[in-house]
Amino acid sequence: MKRRTFLRGTGVALGLPWMEALGAGQNPVRMAMLYMPNGVNVPMWTPKGEGRDFELSPTLSPLGDLKQKVVVLSNLWNEAARGGDGHYVKESAILTCRTIKKTPGADIANGVSMDQVAARQAGQETPLASLELGVTPVAIGVDAVVGYTRIYGSHIAWSSATTPLARELNPRAVYERLYRAAHGVGADTAQMDKLLLDRVQEDARKLRTRISKEDRHRLDEYLSVMRSLEQRVERSAAGDKRNWKPKSAIEAKGAPPERPADHAEHVKLMLDMIAVAFQTDTTRVATFMFGNAVSNVSFRFLEGVNAGHHDVSHHGKDPDKLRQYQIINQWHVAQYAYLLRRLEGMREGDKTVLDNSMVLFGSALQDGDRHWMHNLPMVLGGGGGGRVIGGQHIVSGEDTPLANLYVSMLEAFGAPVERFADSTGPLKGLMRT
Amino acid sequence: MSAVKPYLLISFAAVLLAAEPMRFDQAQAFLGQYCGGCHGAKAVGGFGLDKVKEASSLARDAHSWTRARLRVENHEMPPKGAAAPSLDAREEFAKFVNAELKREACRAGFQVGPRPLRRLNREEYTATVQDLLDLHMDIGGSLPADGAGGEGFDNAGETLFLSPLHAEKYLETAKQAMDYAAKEFKSRKRLLIAKPGEGLSEDGAARKIALNFLPKAFRRPVLEAEANEYVALFRTARSKGEEFEPAVFYMLRAVLVSPHFLFRNEPGEYALASRLSYFLWGSMPDELLFDLAGQRKLNRPEVLRALVDRMLRHDRSQNFAQRFIEQWLHTRELSGDKRPETATLAKGTEIEELLGDIRLQPVYFFREMLNRKLSLLTLIDSDATIGTSNLEKHFGFKMPLDPGRRKQPQWAALPPGTNRGGILGMPAVLAVASYPYRTSPVLRGAFILDAILGTPPPPPPPNVPPLEEGKSTAAAKSVRERLTQHRANVSCAGCHNRIDPLGFALENYDPLGRWRDEDGGKPVDNTGELNDGRKFAGPGLLRTVLLERKDLFARNLTSKMLGYALGRGLTLADGCVVDAIVAEVKQNDYNAAKWIEAIVLSAPFRGEAEVKKK
Repeated sequence: MKRRTFLRGTGVALGLPWMEALGAGQNPVRMAMLYMPNGVNVPMWTPKGEGRDFELSPTLSPLGDLKQKVVVLSNLWNEAARGGDGHYVKESAILTCRTIKKTPGADIANGVSMDQVAARQAGQETPLASLELGVTPVAIGVDAVVGYTRIYGSHIAWSSATTPLARELNPRAVYERLYRAAHGVGADTAQMDKLLLDRVQEDARKLRTRISKEDRHRLDEYLSVMRSLEQRVERSAAGDKRNWKPKSAIEAKGAPPERPADHAEHVKLMLDMIAVAFQTDTTRVATFMFGNAVSNVSFRFLEGVNAGHHDVSHHGKDPDKLRQYQIINQWHVAQYAYLLRRLEGMREGDKTVLDNSMVLFGSALQDGDRHWMHNLPMVLGGGGGGRVIGGQHIVSGEDTPLANLYVSMLEAFGAPVERFADSTGPLKGLMRT
Repeated sequence: MSAVKPYLLISFAAVLLAAEPMRFDQAQAFLGQYCGGCHGAKAVGGFGLDKVKEASSLARDAHSWTRARLRVENHEMPPKGAAAPSLDAREEFAKFVNAELKREACRAGFQVGPRPLRRLNREEYTATVQDLLDLHMDIGGSLPADGAGGEGFDNAGETLFLSPLHAEKYLETAKQAMDYAAKEFKSRKRLLIAKPGEGLSEDGAARKIALNFLPKAFRRPVLEAEANEYVALFRTARSKGEEFEPAVFYMLRAVLVSPHFLFRNEPGEYALASRLSYFLWGSMPDELLFDLAGQRKLNRPEVLRALVDRMLRHDRSQNFAQRFIEQWLHTRELSGDKRPETATLAKGTEIEELLGDIRLQPVYFFREMLNRKLSLLTLIDSDATIGTSNLEKHFGFKMPLDPGRRKQPQWAALPPGTNRGGILGMPAVLAVASYPYRTSPVLRGAFILDAILGTPPPPPPPNVPPLEEGKSTAAAKSVRERLTQHRANVSCAGCHNRIDPLGFALENYDPLGRWRDEDGGKPVDNTGELNDGRKFAGPGLLRTVLLERKDLFARNLTSKMLGYALGRGLTLADGCVVDAIVAEVKQNDYNAAKWIEAIVLSAPFRGEAEVKKK
């Protein structure tokens, strides 16, 4: 089945009376982060002008029709990512704003990522707490040159300082997961699953008392994921008493194909899954990685490109590499625009799902050639439930903490925090107060 | 290939060797100069230099030394604004601390080292479920792939995390597996070993089934009380109206989600049985291993030697060869980001078959090396390789292949002068250390330093300033010209002078590992200039040079293998074990089979410390 056909099937808002009665203002806010590896061609990225009077740059041109719904952010940086190496320190910290521990793995440490702060708050209200998606498998090995496990470069979502969240790469599996989560299982099945999960957690609790202190965190991890699965099974079995209802139907026959070989097609399908998840309200938090840190995916499928991503990002000011670098950047922005448009096309009361979302797009590096982490390329799309002041280019003071943006986003999402990492307050000029 | 001049080798070896090591008094001077301001009399942050002042502190307080080293090595200290040591001085200090601490650790004997609780990784999980249920399908295919840590392998306990996604998938996969098993004759026979009937109640039958299955799944003996907890699940299912069989499969399903199944935590010799089995087979122990552990006969050198020989000959050791080789050499990436571009292959080439043969060549080579008990140095140079009819075409010469199975990978003698001996003549390695569309002397040079010799180049400094906008930047076209320019920059030259010449020696191989005498219409220039200005050229000389460094190579390969075998990163104390294994292997002419034996017989693998007699 063609991708577009299946989505049309699922994309119809049911317009249930109870939902309309809530009023558009009470629709939940959703939050997503789309991460692009390897930074940008800076002159081609930066818009001309600032405030409401600005011009989208060539790289940002795919957002043309959405200009009033996006905010381009300049001068944000992530101070925690200053030292270390050129990639892992930067890329794994993009949502944590913490300095990762340099290690081949024994004592891996980052911080909790901002999406997971949101998921902790809202995760109980939806069948899935959050969705972690990608298109390339976790990079294997330890980067011996810089001394970091590549696990760092393959994860932006961290549920604790020591636990990166595994990503789903297969669009069909995501869809089936959304479907199952939205429909729940029959009360009998749920009860049997719950008994089974009780049994194995009992095993883990007993085992926990018999193992060394250092190993306990592994079983704590096991207990924590099994317990949350059990809670979900319980919630989904509550039948009519469930206080969650899908905001639009999701049908089994709408499932997309397995992982396609074509990179562009694969990316689109994964972004579609975010759209489906947000439209149905199966989850309100999603992260997506276009590639792992140091990704050298070949973009030779784009006209005018004859090299891989990381390769051209080290342009050394070579005009031809810079040109290719820009084409690749722009392609990523076009995918981002595709997701925004899909969300914009989904009605929700008198608004759209995009109006009730915040979709951040960006990279953990500015100029990939220099591994520069000042003035990071960032765009926020969507209205955040009417809070975000769209259609502007906010040029903050030099080296404003990226964490300030996260403080603002978490507040608009409904999971306010006083501080996040090195934040100094909310980001000025972004939100209606 | 020109004859090798001995003086070239000596100078080249010197480049790879470290400078004169730092001495204790020099380390003290280093600490005093750069740390004394805050950590001298004042002991800022709870760390005072008095802790590391005496030579005896190296034995007493390894912790303080390690912390100081990490701070210095990671550029965390001295803080911004304070006078900082040079990059070289930092390295020298770090090397000093590591060498001294290792010496102290070795003096105490061989230690077992850490044993982090480790879950089965995706491949181990799949193979184990297949063996348990006698099912042959990719049962764990929907689990998230595992990252890697330690020595660079995805079985490192430290980095085997659990995400909510794992929990979901374990539950689903267990159900799928049991649903398949319920329909499969062979699986049913293995699982349903009792039926209720004359003299046997339903509970009794379920208990028998549990008592048969649980020890295999948990890789250790199981008491009846423990089995009864699972039988209780069976009973619940029955009371809810399930038939006997579905209730049994429900009970068995829970076993596959239990931490006792998912985590390796076996007692006594059962732990050794599992360690051996997951090391050499990538799956659960078989009955023989299980029984030997039960009789406490496993942890004996003569038993272990015989087992290693038997296990390596078993088909399952293919798992071991594949997982080790594809991660050590990174060739797993050939099916992902590093998939080479195939547009330049001749029309009519069976592309997927060829890529498959390319990927498997080093794996089969490694396995043949073990089973033929060849020298580890055949990995550097050999007069035979793995051939197939596709590889023959790819290489452009004939090999003596078995006419009946020319498509099957097989051990074949190499005609002289082909430059295909050892792993550096294999397309898999040459491709993975290239971009998919062009070769890169930097990638190949760094690959040799890192994967082969275990001496990775230091990282490029963070936040490298952009290259100076030189007049000739735009004019430079070839890779060689650009790299020459790069090395003109002093901050790049230090490392690139080490990296690039090694890679240039392999320029006769294209990104797919085919031999070429010309590139872009010009003759291939496979020459390189070493730091001291002397010339060196081509893959033949490169191999000879690497063989001169065989101790470095053997040490690196042994570290990798011990890390893989133990499923964790190595400690300084493990370095003593590695040294001992390398010394032993050297005495045995680098015999690869003896090498695996030595790994298995080592203190950390067997789990018994060996205290040195004074």
